Amino acid sequence: MAEEKKRAINRLESRKLMRPMVDKMYIESVEAAKAGKPVAWCMVNWWEGDPILRAMDVVPVYPENYGTVCAAMGAAQGYLGKSDAEGFPTHLCGYARNCIGYTTSMIELGEIPAEAPMGGMAKPAFMMSSGAFCDARYKWFQALRRYWDVPVWVLEFPHPGVKEAAMEGTFEHVIRYMVAELREFVNFVERLLGKKIDWDHLNEALDTQEQVFRVWWESNELRKAIPCPMHSRDFWTCMVPCYYLAGERETLEAYTAVYEEVKARVDAGIGAVAGEKYRLMFAELPPWHSLGFFDRLAERGWNFVIESMGYHPPPPIDMEGVTDPLERIARFAYGWYTSTNINIPRGERSALGAQPYVNFAREYKVDGVLFHPLLTCRTASIWLTHGANVVMERARVPSLFMQGDIVDLTVFDEAQALNQAEAFEETMEHYRQIRKREGLG
Amino acid sequence: MAEKGLARADESYQKRDKRVRELKAGGKRIMGYLCCYPPLEMVTALDFVPFRVLGDMNEAITKADAYLPTIMCPFLRSAFDLGLKERYDFLDGFVGAHVCDCGEKLCHLWDYYLEPSYYHFIDFPHVVHRASFDFLKEELNSFKTTLEGYAGKEMTPERLKQEISLHNQQRALVRELYELRKPDPPLLSGTETLKTVVALMSIPVEEGNELLREAIKEVKERKDGPQKKGARLLIWGSPIDDVAFIEMMEGMGANVVMDDTCVGSRHYWPDVELTADPLDGIVHRYLADIKCPRTFRETTESYQKDLEARFSYLRDYAEEWKVNGVILQSMKYCDTHGYEVPALKDYLDGIGLPNLYLEHEYTMVALAPLRTRVQAFLEMIG
Repeated sequence: MAEEKKRAINRLESRKLMRPMVDKMYIESVEAAKAGKPVAWCMVNWWEGDPILRAMDVVPVYPENYGTVCAAMGAAQGYLGKSDAEGFPTHLCGYARNCIGYTTSMIELGEIPAEAPMGGMAKPAFMMSSGAFCDARYKWFQALRRYWDVPVWVLEFPHPGVKEAAMEGTFEHVIRYMVAELREFVNFVERLLGKKIDWDHLNEALDTQEQVFRVWWESNELRKAIPCPMHSRDFWTCMVPCYYLAGERETLEAYTAVYEEVKARVDAGIGAVAGEKYRLMFAELPPWHSLGFFDRLAERGWNFVIESMGYHPPPPIDMEGVTDPLERIARFAYGWYTSTNINIPRGERSALGAQPYVNFAREYKVDGVLFHPLLTCRTASIWLTHGANVVMERARVPSLFMQGDIVDLTVFDEAQALNQAEAFEETMEHYRQIRKREGLG
Repeated sequence: MAEKGLARADESYQKRDKRVRELKAGGKRIMGYLCCYPPLEMVTALDFVPFRVLGDMNEAITKADAYLPTIMCPFLRSAFDLGLKERYDFLDGFVGAHVCDCGEKLCHLWDYYLEPSYYHFIDFPHVVHRASFDFLKEELNSFKTTLEGYAGKEMTPERLKQEISLHNQQRALVRELYELRKPDPPLLSGTETLKTVVALMSIPVEEGNELLREAIKEVKERKDGPQKKGARLLIWGSPIDDVAFIEMMEGMGANVVMDDTCVGSRHYWPDVELTADPLDGIVHRYLADIKCPRTFRETTESYQKDLEARFSYLRDYAEEWKVNGVILQSMKYCDTHGYEVPALKDYLDGIGLPNLYLEHEYTMVALAPLRTRVQAFLEMIG
């Protein structure tokens, strides 16, 4: 029986290339620290700081990803409890609480806890925060100063409003600011480590990174096919190197293999779920601790064909004539951010942070959206209700909400979620008819 | 306007929209704003009346649930709920700013669903670096452009300088009002202070200055001020816009003598320096001088020095206002304040200042369970 459930989602073979890369990322960081190389704890920063760090021979480690790892491997609950005991409010980001708990364990023991998944995270030489998208990304590392006597740098990421971003001159003044901040960051790391950045290395990494984004973006474009060749489970497995190892040749090779496999499936008309009955979008991050839930849904013919835009690379961005690598980084990161508001049909208002949901609902021909508000993540959750409103209003696609969390498994009720799913099928059927009647495809 | 001084403040606090509705009927245009970051000098320099959007702890949130998740700042949810219920229907425009993550997104949703006739969002850097000042100045220039377009006139440097002086006058008067809380017993209660501050955020600046002068005179002359109590408290944290929280403390044996919240001293404390280009002074004040945890302060060579750099102003407050206990309060789901709590407790413990952390949900009902903890704390320090 268990064997059959596993087969409900036809997973990509090429996904298996990803996990060893992630394992290696953790192992190398611990080994690097032992060898005296500097390790930096980093927030997801939308590729602003990662290539710079690698061009300075700094080994980045990502506590956000480590939250995912701990949740998936069942180690998070203990760390969450430790964070609570330190006096941090329980409503804070689950990843942050996991990291705070991990850190206090490490401080108490004077070394990486033996039970730490993936070999743990080595002590940082400094911490690189990010001003992008959520307050936790800079407040969390600031709070870790209580435990690590190492500097924290915040890599700024401007957020002009939607209309304001379109004002004459705004794009360029944002880029000027980002480049100035990136230069300061390079100076900071150079001063701290007493060594210079390798600009050639940086340029090479950026070349690779842009190829990685392109091939990964194209792979996801192929998922518009009916049936969809790649399930969200594979997306979540594959997305990690794009975030953390985007400048590596190995990553490019892995994503090329994914592209080829997905393309072959499209050409052969093979879907990720046999007898694809419903096409769904999943919005926000999944319950990492309960991914088997998607197998149960796949048994009902549910295929998850697209996810929140925040985890996707942007469409290719023209870098013609941009020679300064820092400007290249800035234009890419900010271009990714502003790409949220492209593809708005004439006469429609931007739906703000929910615009990608509307676009994806149309482009991927989804029957429904499964919204997963994360109890400890406001950034991820704040657009979701609005997203459900505009997806219904503009694309006539219904939504289902299932509350949970990225780390804390106690707040996700799988049995109840499955019951709701069954009832939701009728709603999806109903809106299929409405879309047909209204000529919405 | 029959009432004067504290009674006038009380009236404005009770009926926040009364005066602006009168002004609107007389042809004035009212500009809503959230938090203490939109530069009000620029708003008044084009003859708009600024009006701070707040929540209402007494009003159940019923409409906002259709647009916002329940796991975000209840104060902002309440403010949006009031907007949906047309409690802010007198606003002509709305100025948003990137204060915190929820605040940023709420501003955009305010524009989307409430469709004010004017809306502008100002992005504020998280860091106080050299380039951040240039960036913010460009942001404010964009704001100036759209605001001038809406007003149909130009914001001249001379007028902006006049407005800076006027707002600085208000700040000086607020600081003078707070001085009256230094004696033991204080001449002015925390409840009266909060009402006055909320009133200032609800009426034109000139009228606010007049109100402050009346209140200061009244308080200095009256003989029936607050009684001396055992505890002299400083309240730190996320916005408090309803007196219920302060009244609870003051009703249980404490004098609330100082605050560090954004509907309080944080909003008014620093002046704008009058610079040759007035925008430079404004940029500096709003980016560097306002002490809100949403702004990241550079790390130093040690954690202890970081704490000193981030929180020593609270020690100054405690010394000057003879504080013997600090209430750290934060609304549930307020991340910027939530992350701050252990470090701030470390700092206060380090300087020997007793403190108590309270988390609440911005409802009257949610305050009741806090009473026992507050009582125990007051007994401990009193």
